[in-house]
Amino acid sequence: MRSLFRPDLPPDAAVLDDHKPLIRSLDRRGLIRGGLSLGALVMLTGCEVRRPEAVEAALLAISRFNDGVQALLFDPNKLAPTYPASMILRPPKFNAYYDVMDVKPVDGATWHLEVSGLVADKRAWTLSDLQALPQTSMVIKHICVEGWSYIGGWTGVPLRLFLERVGADLRAKYVAFKTADNYPSSIDMASALHPQTLLALEYGGDTIAEPFGYPMRLRTAVKLGYKNPKWVTAIEVTNKYPGGYWESLGFPWFAGI
Amino acid sequence: MASLRLLIVCSMLAIAGAAHAQSATPGGMPPPPGMSLAESAAVRFPQPVRVGDLLGREVLRPVESQDVLGRVRRVVRDSNGQIMVVIDFGGIFGFDSRPIAVPVDAMVLLGHDMEIVAFTPKQLQQFPTFSPSGTTDVPNDTFIKVGLAKPSH
Repeated sequence: MRSLFRPDLPPDAAVLDDHKPLIRSLDRRGLIRGGLSLGALVMLTGCEVRRPEAVEAALLAISRFNDGVQALLFDPNKLAPTYPASMILRPPKFNAYYDVMDVKPVDGATWHLEVSGLVADKRAWTLSDLQALPQTSMVIKHICVEGWSYIGGWTGVPLRLFLERVGADLRAKYVAFKTADNYPSSIDMASALHPQTLLALEYGGDTIAEPFGYPMRLRTAVKLGYKNPKWVTAIEVTNKYPGGYWESLGFPWFAGI
Repeated sequence: MASLRLLIVCSMLAIAGAAHAQSATPGGMPPPPGMSLAESAAVRFPQPVRVGDLLGREVLRPVESQDVLGRVRRVVRDSNGQIMVVIDFGGIFGFDSRPIAVPVDAMVLLGHDMEIVAFTPKQLQQFPTFSPSGTTDVPNDTFIKVGLAKPSH
C-alpha cells in the first residue's frame, strides 16, 4: 500500500549530488567524535583511549566540571522539602563502607570535637558544650547515591551557628570533617552555611543511636547521603581541597541534591 | 573501531568500579560460625522498632539482587516465648505463598525493608507452614529489638 505520508512530488535526486561532500563526511567516527559524551571523552584524552589512566583523568575532569556547575547552580537560600514528623522512619536505615557488625561505638562522655584551620577559637568541644547551643529540628529525606532514600527527623546545632561561634572565616572554601571510623569528608562553605545543615545530636527526638553516628554526625538536606559523615571528631575550615573517602575513589565531590 | 570498543569497555569498568566501591564489605552476612541466632543479632546493634510498623514490610534476600522473599504478615511469640516474624513466603506475585515463622533474631532491618540473614531460601522452603496454635500475637504498639545490616548492593 502506498504510504499516506508519501509526498506527491518526490525530491529531485540531484539534491544528493549537491551535498555529496557533506554526506561522505557523515561516517560513524565523525558522528561519535562530534557527540557530547564519548566523543568529548575521546577529545579530552587526546585520543589516547588505550591508556586507562588517561580515560580516568578525563572522567575526573568531567566530574570536576560537573562539581563547578553544581556549585554555580546552588541556591544558598532555597530549602529542601521537609515532611511531617509522622513520616520519620524509626529506626533510620544503616549504611557505611562496612557492615554494622564492624561499627565501633564512641563514648560520648570522653568524646571531643577538635576545631582547626581558619577559625579564631580552636578550643575543643564536649558533647555538653554542643548540647548547650541553640538546637534546630528538621524532617528531611536522606537520599543515597545507590538509589534508596528514607525520611528522617534530626535535631542539632546549625553548622552556620557553630562556625560563627568559633569565629570561622566564612569566606573560606571548604569545611572538612574527620570521623572516628576514618571516613574523611568535606563540603563547600555555601552548603555548610545552609539552614538545613546540622551538627545532629538527636534522631526522632531521642539521642542518636550508636550505629547512626552517636554522639554527633553531620546531616545536610542539600547533599547526597555519603556527604553526611557519622561519629564526627574534628572540623577544619580550609581553602585547601580536603576530598573525602568516596571522593578519593572517584565519586563526585559536590554531590548536591 | 577497536579503540572505540576499548573506550566503551573502560568507561563501563570505571562505572562498575565506582558502584562496587560503595559496598567494600558486604551487608547482611549470615551469623558467624559458632554463634547462636541471639548472639549474632546482638552484634548487629539491635534497635527498637514498633511491631505495627513492621507489618506489610517486604522481606528481602541479602544479596545484590535483593530478591523479595515475602512480606511480614504478623509478629507472634511462640510457646517458648521467642519472638517470631510470620512471613507470607514464596509464590509468584503474591499468589501461592504460604506463611512461615522465622525467628526475629534471624532477621535484620534494612530501612523500610527486612532481610533474612540466617537462612537461605532453600532452608526456608523446608520451614513448616505456620500454625497459630500455641502462639500469641505481639500487640502492634509493642517495641521489639531487631538487628541492622547495610544494603547488600
